[in-house]
Amino acid sequence: MGLKAPAQAAALITKGILRIMGRGATTLPGKVAIRMCPDIISKCAKGKKIITITGTNGKTTTTHMITSMLRSLGYEVITNVSGANLASGITTTFLCEKPSKTADPDKIVYVLETDEAAFAKIAKDLQPKVCLVTNLFRDQLDRYGELTHTRDLIANGIDDTSAKIVLNADDSLVASMGKTRSDRASYYGISLQTMLDNNRLHPNNTILEASSDAAFCPECKVRYDYQARSFGHLGDYRCPSCGFATPVRRFELSYDASGNPSDEGFPFTITDTEHDVTDTLNLRIAGSHNLYNTCAAVSAVTRFLEIDRGEEDGLFEQACKSTQKIEAAFGRMEKIAVGNKFICILLVKNPVGLDRALSFVAQSSDADSLMLVLNSNTADGKDVSWIWDVDFESKVDDLPSNIYVSGQRYGDMMLRVSYSGRTVDGYGSLDYATTLLKGAISECPDGKCIYILPNYTAMLDLRGRLVKDLKLKDFWKD
Amino acid sequence: MSKLVIGHFYPDLLNLYGDRGNVLALMRRASLRGIEVEVKRISIGDDVKNGDIDIGFIGGGQDSEQNIMADDIKNVKGDVIKEMIEDGVVFLTVCGGYQMLGKYYEEHTGNRIECLGALPHYTVGKKERFINDCIYEIEIEGKTVKVAGFENHSGRTFLGEGEEPFMKVIKGHGNNGQDGFEGAKYKNTFCTYSHGSLLPKNPDITDMLLKLALKRKYGEDYEFPELSTETEDLARKQALDYIEGKQGIQQ
Repeated sequence: MGLKAPAQAAALITKGILRIMGRGATTLPGKVAIRMCPDIISKCAKGKKIITITGTNGKTTTTHMITSMLRSLGYEVITNVSGANLASGITTTFLCEKPSKTADPDKIVYVLETDEAAFAKIAKDLQPKVCLVTNLFRDQLDRYGELTHTRDLIANGIDDTSAKIVLNADDSLVASMGKTRSDRASYYGISLQTMLDNNRLHPNNTILEASSDAAFCPECKVRYDYQARSFGHLGDYRCPSCGFATPVRRFELSYDASGNPSDEGFPFTITDTEHDVTDTLNLRIAGSHNLYNTCAAVSAVTRFLEIDRGEEDGLFEQACKSTQKIEAAFGRMEKIAVGNKFICILLVKNPVGLDRALSFVAQSSDADSLMLVLNSNTADGKDVSWIWDVDFESKVDDLPSNIYVSGQRYGDMMLRVSYSGRTVDGYGSLDYATTLLKGAISECPDGKCIYILPNYTAMLDLRGRLVKDLKLKDFWKD
Repeated sequence: MSKLVIGHFYPDLLNLYGDRGNVLALMRRASLRGIEVEVKRISIGDDVKNGDIDIGFIGGGQDSEQNIMADDIKNVKGDVIKEMIEDGVVFLTVCGGYQMLGKYYEEHTGNRIECLGALPHYTVGKKERFINDCIYEIEIEGKTVKVAGFENHSGRTFLGEGEEPFMKVIKGHGNNGQDGFEGAKYKNTFCTYSHGSLLPKNPDITDMLLKLALKRKYGEDYEFPELSTETEDLARKQALDYIEGKQGIQQ
């Protein structure tokens, strides 16, 4: 068994060398430390207050929200850099990110975005106070396995801890984890009435229904009955055979379905149904999926405060209030000014992410152009067939008048757009992306925005090109 | 003229890897020709009779989802699917759908799962998955066409008597990584491991399926309208260039 101190020293030296070389140091120091001291995570995590965030979509944004909220509430928060969510990244966070010397040790919280598979392995070492599970959607299938398998991995991780669990009630796969853990589970989701109103006011006019996950109860092999849906397989469901149904949501979000959640500051309410308290909030990061993320963050922070303070009174209201200072994370939904125009990058990694991003752009009042950038490196998933699982067809009429495509697989994306009934206005490889973008910017009216939807390595590549070719300053924090 | 009916089997269970794209491609290239199309969802609990559909599509699913529909395809819809295949109804089946039409699937543990037996091939599961961009070649009406695809399967499929391979492998593993062939063909039924989705980028195959179905529906005299493949060809060329490593500045 290795020692913590030398491992930490090695991690810090590695970090220093990487920084001198001008490279990001978000995972390698942790790798070095784990090599020297395999039980480094449990040593680092011992006695610390930890919240983990896992699930397919919304991890980074929700982690960012919780971090901002706890800071508003007077906590000193240490969190991992987006993407550094494996054991190595989390170890790096423990060893290289230090609280300020004046921090009250009782007020230090670690808010850790954790990859689903990594969670199963390190939950035992972390012993978090609160585990949040956002949702389970199909991801890059050449990289991840079956959804029920991912769910079981997370459930195993939870069983290695005594953490309180905060689960998305509207996701049958996630909510099913609470069945045998009801004493420590609480649920959040969108109210049935809001979903019903939404379905009535915005019927989905597609020519071919999108592929959905989890249509059947995995235990009974019987199709779920849905009263209403929010998106994908999220909704109000019930298995007609075993009776498993959307659990009672302790934290329930409602909004006026005739409004537009793509507007910044969109008003909504969250009710703590256990205490019968309702608070009105304004959406700090636009997009209907961020309603879920905000509700998840409020739920997790409320549960954390209840454990940390050993009381319940007024904590939900404090959690709601603390959302006021949330700002968009760098490079995610943040609008970057280019003269009097804007560009906005929305990372899309999987079908539901692209579906939500397209829906967001379709509803945005300031959208002038859309640029889709598709790569197929290992980190993206080499298979690009997932773009066909996304229902472009129901959204194309509302997408901006100009559509551009780029990336290693621009031909596939060009055809995807074209099969939805729209023609692309320009296409080309990544070397051509900034040329396309310059053209789009010059044609964009003042005050309007160009929305760029890249997948993972396309985003990394594009960032560099934006700095170099468009002379945008390097606004992305690493 | 009556509508062209596409029967999409188990769309709520078998819908991985862009299966939806194949149905969209058939819909699009038919409707651009002025042919009215209806897509029938045929899942657990839905009835189907021989004569109801002109083209059948069966995709692939996750193991847990294939387990949910396995009984239904064997015991409820099996006979009518067999009858349709024998009668020359056009079918496209991909990955799991391909394997399920065969005799059996032997897991790498040795456990043998009986399949529909509509076609004489069988599949043996191995631990190592074939995950690759692929290029195949196919001859359609005397013309050799390059096909761009993607494979992701752990099963090795071996064809039986009366079946022919669907395509020749240029790059990738194909049916089993040994014989250089991809997919299977029997009467008007075509099976493949290729995702991509297969049809959008390979319009010659889409048109071949549509033409077979329409001639069967309206008679051999039916004239299949011409339709440009310009957009699809561009997408296919770019994909082939990428797979062959020929990337540069392109517009």
